[in-house]
Amino acid sequence: MATRTVAVARPRAASQRTTLGMWLFGARAILKGMALTHRHFLRNLWGFIRRKPTVFTVQYPEQRLPFPNAFRGMPVLVQMDNGKERCVACGLCEWACPTDCITIYPAETADEIERHPEVFDINMSRCMFCGLCEEACPEEAIVMSHNVEISAFSRRGTLWHKDDLLVPVSKLAPRLEHIRGSYDR
Amino acid sequence: MPTITIDGQAIEAPAGAMLLPVALENGIHIPHYCWHPKLSIDGSCRMCQVEVEGGPKLVIACNTPIRDGMVVRTKTPAVENTRRGVMELLLVNHPLDCPICDKAGECLLQDYSFAFGSRRARTREPRRKLEKRKDIGPRMILDQERCILCRRCVRFCREITKTNELGVFNMGDHSVLDILDDKPLANDYSINTADVCPVGALESKDFHHKLRVWFLKKTESICPSCSNGCNITVHHYRDRIWRMMPRRNDAVNDTWMCDHGRLNYKHVNSAERLRQPLLRRNGQLEACEWDEALTAVAAALRRVARETEGRGIAAVASPHLTNEENFRFAQLLLTLGVRNVDVAVVIGSSDNFLIKAEKAANARGARDMGLQPASGGLGLPTILEAAAKGEIRVLYVCGPDLWQTTDRQQLEQALASIECLIVQDIARSPLTERAHVVLPSLTFAEKSGTFTNVAGRVQRLHRAIAPPEGQLGDGEIFSRLLALVTEGIPAFEPAAVLEEIAAAVPAYAGLTFDRVGALGWQLPGGTTQPLPGATA
Repeated sequence: MATRTVAVARPRAASQRTTLGMWLFGARAILKGMALTHRHFLRNLWGFIRRKPTVFTVQYPEQRLPFPNAFRGMPVLVQMDNGKERCVACGLCEWACPTDCITIYPAETADEIERHPEVFDINMSRCMFCGLCEEACPEEAIVMSHNVEISAFSRRGTLWHKDDLLVPVSKLAPRLEHIRGSYDR
Repeated sequence: MPTITIDGQAIEAPAGAMLLPVALENGIHIPHYCWHPKLSIDGSCRMCQVEVEGGPKLVIACNTPIRDGMVVRTKTPAVENTRRGVMELLLVNHPLDCPICDKAGECLLQDYSFAFGSRRARTREPRRKLEKRKDIGPRMILDQERCILCRRCVRFCREITKTNELGVFNMGDHSVLDILDDKPLANDYSINTADVCPVGALESKDFHHKLRVWFLKKTESICPSCSNGCNITVHHYRDRIWRMMPRRNDAVNDTWMCDHGRLNYKHVNSAERLRQPLLRRNGQLEACEWDEALTAVAAALRRVARETEGRGIAAVASPHLTNEENFRFAQLLLTLGVRNVDVAVVIGSSDNFLIKAEKAANARGARDMGLQPASGGLGLPTILEAAAKGEIRVLYVCGPDLWQTTDRQQLEQALASIECLIVQDIARSPLTERAHVVLPSLTFAEKSGTFTNVAGRVQRLHRAIAPPEGQLGDGEIFSRLLALVTEGIPAFEPAAVLEEIAAAVPAYAGLTFDRVGALGWQLPGGTTQPLPGATA
C-alpha cells in the first residue's frame, strides 16, 4: 500500500511560546551567577595580593595535605637501623597478593636472622593498594606508605626493586603504630 | 577378624593391628607425630591419645592393639583437652621460626597447632636456646630448637639405614637431638630424615631457603637415576624442578629414596640444554630447523639401509627414554632392517636396599622393546670394532651413556671412520661435538610414558614441565623419522603407543595406562623382592 503524507496545521502550544517574563527570569539568573563568580574572583584576587588566601585549593605539588595514618599508598619495605630489610622472605605477602605483583627470591645470610630476600620486586602497575600484604606480614616488614607518586615513563619503571622499596623504620612509625592497633581485633 | 567401633563406625581389622593405622586406613584421622608407617613404634609424642571404653584413662592409639568389641572415641572433651595440653607442652620451647622455616606449610606442628592448639602461650619464661643451623652432614642441617623429640629420624637411622648417626642426648627437658662429633649424617639416604621430620628440625641443604612449599606444584613420576624405579613426586614451579620427594609404593621403595636420586634433577633445569637441532655444515655444527635435521637423518638412514641392507647402520638406544619412545625407535630400526642394536648403560655402585647398579631407569624396558642385538646383529663392543673397520657407516646414538661406558680410544677410532653420526641427547657433550646431526632430547620430567624397572615393574611417569614451544619429544622425533622412511605413521601419543606395545610384546600384553595406575604393574615372570628392613 502506497504511503501518503498529509501536512496538518497545528497551533503552537502555550508552553513553547517565549514570553517577556521568561526573558527577564533568564537575565536575572545569569546576572546572579556572574555576581557570585565575580565576588569570589575579586575576593581571591584581593587575598592573593595581600598573600592571605581565602580559598582552600591545595597548590599540589608545591603544597600537600597530610594523609591520615589509615591511608594506603604504595607498599614499602621497612628498613632497620642497621640498613637491612626487616623482611625474612617468608613469602606470605607473595601468597596473599590478589594481583600477584610481588616476586621474592629468598636467600641465606650469615646474620642472626638467617634468611632474607635476595630479590624483592613489586610490580606497581599491578598493585591495587589493598593492603593484604601488610596484613599477612608476620614481621611488620611490609607496610602501606603515604607515597602515591608512582607513575613512570616506561613499564620497566613501574617495577620497583628491593633497594627502591626500602624506607627507614623511623619514617614509618605512625603507620606501624596504626597497624598494631588492629592486632587484637 | 575382630570388629571394633571408632566414633560409632564399625571397622573390621586383622588381629594384632594397632589402633592408629587401622583408624587412618578407614579415614579417621588421629593426630600423631612419632608414629610412621615404615618405622617401629615409639610412643613418645603422646599426641594420638584416644578414649577406649572401659579403660581407666586415655591410651595412645599407635601402641594399642585392637581387640574384638573395642569401642574407641577420638572426639570426646577428654581427648580434645589432652591434645590441647600436649600441643601446649610441645610448643613451650618451640621457636617462632615459621616465617623462616622451610617446613612451614607442610609442618605437622603448624597444622595440629592450628587445629587443636590454643591461640595464646601461657608461659613467660624465655624459650630454650640451642644450636641452630648446625652442619650435621654433607646434605643435612639441624636446628635443635625446632625439634620436638619424636625420634622418627633416630629410628630411621637405626632401622632403615642401620647407621645410627642420630641420637637423643641428655635426659628430661635437657634432651636434645644431635650427632656424635666424629660421625656426620652422611649415609646414602640421609635426606629421608628431613621427610620423616614432622617439624623443620632436619632440613635438606639443597632445598634450604629456596622456595615456600605452598608454591610448589606436584606431579607423580619415577626417579630416573637408577633401575630401581623409585616412585617420586616432582615438585616444580615456574617451569623448574625445585625438589623431588619419594612417593609411597610398598612394592618398590616404601616411602624412601636415595640422596643421589633425589638431588639428580639439576640437568633438567640447566640453561645448557639443547633446544634446537644442530647440523654440521662446512665442519661446523650449526642450529637448524627441525624439518631440515630430520630430513637429513632420514636421508642418510634410508640411503645406507638400501645400499647395505641395514648392515651398515648401528644404533645405540638410550635407557633413559620411555618404553613408548623406545618402541617407536625399535619400529624405525626394524623398518630399515637394522640388526646392530644395543643399549648402553652406565654401571655403578649398588647396595642391597634401593640403589641398583644400572644407572638409568629404563634399561630393561629398552631391551623389552626389542632394542638388543637381533639374530645376526652386533652387540655393543662389537659395533665399535666393526665401525673401526669401516663396516658401520651410520651410527645413531641416543643418550649420553655410550661416551661414559666405552673405552675412549676404541670409541674415537670407531667415530673416525663413521660416515654419519647422529646423536640425540639433552645437552652438548663430547659425543655431540663429533656428531653430524644432533637432535635435542627431553628429560623424564618433560614427558609422559612408562618405565620398566629392573624387577619388571612397569610404572607411569607424568609430564611435570612443558618443553619450550616447538621442541619435539623423543617419541615425536622417532615417529616423524618413521613417517619419512615409510608412510602413514600416526602422531606420537603415549597411550596409543602403549596399546601398540601391548599388542606386539607378549610380556606387556593387555597393558594400558589405566592398568599401570599410580603404583605400577608387575610383568609376569619378574619378581619384586620385599625390601630389607621394611616393617609392615
